[in-house]
Amino acid sequence: MISELNPQPLPPHELSRVRIYVDAEVSHDLKRMNKVVANVLARLGCGGCHSGRILEFLDMREFVVNPKTLDVEGRMGAQF
Amino acid sequence: MRPLGVGFVFWPELTPLLDDTDLVGVIEIESQGFWEKLRTGNDVRYQPNEGLLRNIAHYPQPKLLHGVGQPLGGVTRDPVDAAPALRRAVDLLDPVWVSEHLSFNRTRRGGAVTEAGFLLPPRQSEAEVLAAADNIARYASIVERPVAFETGVNYLQPRADELDDGAWFASVAECADCGILLDLHNLWCNQRNGRGQARDVLARLPLERVWEVHLAGGMALDGYWLDAHSDAIAPELLDLAIEVVPRLPNLGAIVFEILPQHLPRIGIDGVRRQLETLARVWALRAPDRAAIQPVVRRHPGAASTRSGQEGDWQELVEWENALVAAIRGDAMTSCRFAELARDPGIAVYRQLIGDARRSNLARALRYTMTMLLAGLGADATEALLERYCSTADPDAYAAVEAEGFANFLGGQPELLAHIPHLAEVWAFEYALLRATLHAEPTELAWSSDPAEIFAALDAGRLPRDLAATRTSMRIEPH
Repeated sequence: MISELNPQPLPPHELSRVRIYVDAEVSHDLKRMNKVVANVLARLGCGGCHSGRILEFLDMREFVVNPKTLDVEGRMGAQF
Repeated sequence: MRPLGVGFVFWPELTPLLDDTDLVGVIEIESQGFWEKLRTGNDVRYQPNEGLLRNIAHYPQPKLLHGVGQPLGGVTRDPVDAAPALRRAVDLLDPVWVSEHLSFNRTRRGGAVTEAGFLLPPRQSEAEVLAAADNIARYASIVERPVAFETGVNYLQPRADELDDGAWFASVAECADCGILLDLHNLWCNQRNGRGQARDVLARLPLERVWEVHLAGGMALDGYWLDAHSDAIAPELLDLAIEVVPRLPNLGAIVFEILPQHLPRIGIDGVRRQLETLARVWALRAPDRAAIQPVVRRHPGAASTRSGQEGDWQELVEWENALVAAIRGDAMTSCRFAELARDPGIAVYRQLIGDARRSNLARALRYTMTMLLAGLGADATEALLERYCSTADPDAYAAVEAEGFANFLGGQPELLAHIPHLAEVWAFEYALLRATLHAEPTELAWSSDPAEIFAALDAGRLPRDLAATRTSMRIEPH
């Protein structure tokens, strides 16, 4: 049996629509998968006007668990 | 210029403020922020987010368009035709005027146009004045609206063989007969970073040409003050605005800029307070302001600035190539501008371009990047990214940059196999990119429930000890 995920990137991002089909008996958490896809698809365009430092990678680096200590180094900003 | 009032650069996160028409008198939209760059075969095009633009168009406030991708300085044009997307944005939003940066962001290398990854300062010379005026006329003929250029930030040290910042901006405005978007935060950054005093720059500007003022907050990096759009307006800068605004007879709008990733720093209530403050600055406008109606000028024709000035033109090419080469760390082929490599601002540009590229990858390959950081550690991941960046030119569009990095990872099967589930997550995000950029379908196989893999990654850790379950997934363009 096949389920169709219908990822809905947060409005008003209407570009980048895709359809995703998964085995329904395995992926029970369709809500999470929708959110995963929306997270990726909503942010594929050109960055905004700036002449400064964009910190999203640095925020991610601080968020991710340190593989040596297994400590969480910090917390990502609200945009994640 | 028609007075519109106080507003902000639109981001979806600021939408709750738009219903307050007393607070928000004008909405500025950064065109390219809501485009995507798509490829069908050899055809590359920009596609605007029509749904978003229609949503914004419904708000009663007047609109302004502010470009961030087709800057008005420099000699190398975008090889992708931006005119249809720009015209579509104009048709949908009916902007009172359109602005862009007096910068360059592309050069030609080995016969191909490459992106610089940042809005860079053009050569401040008489030849560049003519080139910029030509670019502005061409841009105006596309958008068929009055055009203003933004006074840009410049992290390089001032040069004795260039026009000073005030003369540079004034010459371009007079030669192009266009408006000025006076970014006071940029002027303040330039002052703090060792260029001209902001008040000296203002003293040389034709202030009657200023239609719009930008204000923002910034941040420090290695002794430089950055135009980061990251905070509230500093009190000293606000004092400068209070001093200048009464001297701007054709001021049409004051616009506050903050990037959405920095919004948590002041919150949406902080933006509201900034707009309330700016309303008090707006009230200081000269009461006897003149009402000059800007004229949309037709572009005079191809190569209008080049005839008889080939030497000057070559100097502009040499400057732009030398600046990009210095930032990339390439061998300098220009003797005339070889000292650019020693300007301390070069390291700042290099850092900012690298941060922007890594952030684009964090956006568009969020889960792959999370796995690399969690599986390899920060140092090894940054070294990997450095290797990628040294082999591929940047692209301002996150999906295009991410596709380049996904391709790069695809050439390293040992790395993909090194971290459990990385190959699957990489294939998933790569498939989303290909479906978006090229309308390509993909069949994927998972060895565990993907929802459980992503749940771990959303918590910032590698997925461990998941039940083995073979499952398939099909991704199709919509």
